[in-house]
Amino acid sequence: MTISLTINGDPLEYSGDPRRTLLSVLRNDLRLTGAKEVCGEGFCGACTVHVDGAPKVACLIPMGTLSGRSITTIEGLGAPDMLNAVQQAFVDHDVVQCGMCFPGMVLSMSHFLAETPHPTRDEIKRAMTGNLCRCTGYERIVDALASIAPAQEALS
Amino acid sequence: MSTQATTPDRLTKAVMNLPRRDARDKLQGRTRYTVDDTDAGLLHAAFRRAEIASGRILRIDTIAARAMPGVKAIATAEDAPGLHGIGIADHPLFADEVVRYHGEPLAVVAATTLDQARAAAAAIEVEIEPLPACLTMEQSLAADAPLIHPDWQSYEILKDGAARGGNVAWEATVVRGDTDAAFARDDVTIVEGTYQVGRQSHVPFEPRAVVADYEDGRFHIRTSTQVPWTVRHVTAKVLGVAESRVRVTVPAVGGGFGLKFDCSLEPFAAILARKTGRRVSLVNSRREEQMTCLSRENADILIRSAVTADGRILGREATVLMDCGAYGGEQVFLTTMTAHTLGGNYRLESVRLSSRAVYTNTPPNGAFRACNGVYNTFALERHTDEICAAIGMDPMEFRRRNVVGDGDLGATGQVFEGDVLRPMLDLALTKHGPHDGRTHTDDGRLYGRATTVGTWFIFVGPSAATVNLNADGSATLVTSGVEIGSGTMVQSLPQIVAANLGLHPDDVIVKTADTDASGRDLGVGGGRTTVSIGAASEAACEEVRQKLLRVAAQMLQTSEEQLVLKDGRVEIVGRPGSGTSIQTVIAQAEADIGPISGSGAFTAPGIPAMPGCAAGHFIDAIDIPVFAVHDCELAVDPDTGAVEILSYRVVQDVGRALNPRAVHSQIQGGVTQGIGYALHEDITINAQGAFDQAGFSDYRIPTALDTLPIDFHLYEGAPSCGPLGTKGAGEVPILNVGATIACALARATGQAANQLPLTAPRVMALMDGAGPDLRFPHISRRWSDNTIAFRD
Ligand code: FES
Ligand code: FES
Repeated sequence: MTISLTINGDPLEYSGDPRRTLLSVLRNDLRLTGAKEVCGEGFCGACTVHVDGAPKVACLIPMGTLSGRSITTIEGLGAPDMLNAVQQAFVDHDVVQCGMCFPGMVLSMSHFLAETPHPTRDEIKRAMTGNLCRCTGYERIVDALASIAPAQEALS
Repeated sequence: MSTQATTPDRLTKAVMNLPRRDARDKLQGRTRYTVDDTDAGLLHAAFRRAEIASGRILRIDTIAARAMPGVKAIATAEDAPGLHGIGIADHPLFADEVVRYHGEPLAVVAATTLDQARAAAAAIEVEIEPLPACLTMEQSLAADAPLIHPDWQSYEILKDGAARGGNVAWEATVVRGDTDAAFARDDVTIVEGTYQVGRQSHVPFEPRAVVADYEDGRFHIRTSTQVPWTVRHVTAKVLGVAESRVRVTVPAVGGGFGLKFDCSLEPFAAILARKTGRRVSLVNSRREEQMTCLSRENADILIRSAVTADGRILGREATVLMDCGAYGGEQVFLTTMTAHTLGGNYRLESVRLSSRAVYTNTPPNGAFRACNGVYNTFALERHTDEICAAIGMDPMEFRRRNVVGDGDLGATGQVFEGDVLRPMLDLALTKHGPHDGRTHTDDGRLYGRATTVGTWFIFVGPSAATVNLNADGSATLVTSGVEIGSGTMVQSLPQIVAANLGLHPDDVIVKTADTDASGRDLGVGGGRTTVSIGAASEAACEEVRQKLLRVAAQMLQTSEEQLVLKDGRVEIVGRPGSGTSIQTVIAQAEADIGPISGSGAFTAPGIPAMPGCAAGHFIDAIDIPVFAVHDCELAVDPDTGAVEILSYRVVQDVGRALNPRAVHSQIQGGVTQGIGYALHEDITINAQGAFDQAGFSDYRIPTALDTLPIDFHLYEGAPSCGPLGTKGAGEVPILNVGATIACALARATGQAANQLPLTAPRVMALMDGAGPDLRFPHISRRWSDNTIAFRD
């Protein structure tokens, strides 16, 4: 059986084992290594991708369930020379450390801010519990995200 | 050259909140860590590990496994007969004849796919006869305990002078003054306390990982490490080849925290690369990473003090048992650090310390951010509060009176320079106000607050640097530094070089470790990168500067003393615009003397201890002490034992902060790891000698909801031999978190919070009067019984 889906806009015909995870196919077959395999069990969020626009952990998604879906990975977010507002805020606030959690963090938080344009600090922290980070202690990431909503307001 | 005179100027230029140059790629998923090397043609390797804590290997048969699909090579103990270690060479690469811990490698398989490698590893036939195991230090130290290393006496000693014996891998002692006399006085109160901590797992998001190749008769190892030169040395040693046959390069490292401060998977991958002639990738699965983590070790501690009514500490005796697991590893070195942490902070008129690394049949331990400093500070600060309770003195007042200051002696007799801790305490008091005696929060929970002090050190030691000045006016810094996430390679080092050469940091290219190109170095850890590599870089810049100015002086018809490097130009002092661009001078130099480069080196000669008072120590004293004052308010729910941190405040001695924003990041991250350590990161070892916690689902690292914004003050100006007066700032933020939370929790509950982590069930048990049994039958109240060197 062949499964048809798109990855970052490119069509993919997948005819391998339908039980393989999306994460394994991304990293090992397509060499899209932006999504990280950190826990492999759905806890850390480092493998987050967008499936039809919604963040999902790729380490738990069997390929067999992805027929007709559209996947966006961190590599497919924006263009190489264009950061989105979340990425830009993370650069401006200098919050990145080892960086392993950040591709997932960017995808989760970009979606969250699109859904919740004026979050409270508490809402940001709650939304972030699916994305673990061992380096930063989170709060400066929250500061960066909290700076986005007002900035966008000021611009519009 | 008047380096002295130019210091303030260089300092002003060096201090800035330079953003990280690696952030963009990391945010776009473009950074390639070692685990991201998934190229076609790579072979994948998998371990067969022991599933028993102690046993005799009767048979390892790889014949059937070798015939399985995709299998290219299998390696076992035969392929690596050498022993390695720190202080003592006690560690074989593979279990050889005996198994000493659950998870110890028996064999490693290379195959075309990872699934094939794992299938073949599982198909290796293994027969092991179980032997009695010591799973706790209490079992290991029992009179009739089986020896974990029956041949301990035959091991090669890599560092002389320590007492060893039986299941004691290493013993470091301090004896200064007459504690017997102090304890015998009738005007002292004797306070005794016991303390216990479990292990902490680093959980770097990138596990230990390596890709090894065998090229032109040499090994090329690309690895996720903090210590490229250690990897080079150990790989050569266990493979029995010359060190010059090994090249180590390091891509971006996805977190280290000390776990990667030792050689780990590299030699296994190297053997497989040699056997197959192919590139081989070996990556720990998360389960393996967790189950064989070189954790912050568990420890059992006894402290006794003789204190006068006015709070003078006339005598202190302590025994610290550190579980090193099946092999000595980093704990052998870390026995040294008890003297400077548990034996630190306070003036002691006499002191005896025994710090022992004890073998058990459990996974080996290692270095983790501030190492045993974290739990020694916990034990010391809890003990200090117990002293205050016993003599009826305010804990702040006791600390103010007793912290070490200018001219005071450390445990090993080192003389401290400068008053640092006391002004830091005073600052904390002014900033945060006195403790107000509150006992409950508004919503009825138990309230506690504590302020603690801590002492750690910068692990200095040899570093080398080369600076090449390029024709376009940029500079390339070549060192063995690696970027593990802390930002040193992308922030403080280019800032230092730029300030020295009058460039913008963006014009400083920083090359990361390649042992074929960069000079020898001790590694990235112990807060040493800014200090040691920074100092070597400054020395290299000085050579560059001298060459540049000599040529420029000729060109501008003036003397070198009249010239300064500024904004990419060489200018005559006081006459901006009168000079010329640095590119012009470089072009002239190429014609006159050739391209300009400079090399620099650094090492700290070591501060001596008082003769005869320290034995088994790797360093006598601490070259650069680092101090910290932490303050925490918390609330305990009396119905559930849940702890909420209400505020957390840090005053940290940083020497000079070159990039204050980056230091803030380290404080926020380090304190958060400390909160995990204090409250919920728990490792328990089961009857099979394996950890009960195998991954993220059961080993609980902090989430965004477990932390809070950490208030901080960077205390500047304390003495340091680091470049521009810096000290490393990344390691120390975790130092007193366990201490401060435990002290605050003890005040909230009125109970002895003497065991970490303080999980909610443990806090409930404490409040129910069912705290842990910390009587420690394996630690004698007679100090000398806890030593080999002084036992009678
Ligand atoms: S790797 Fe998928 S959630 Fe952790
Ligand atoms: S930056 Fe290292 S895990 Fe988040």
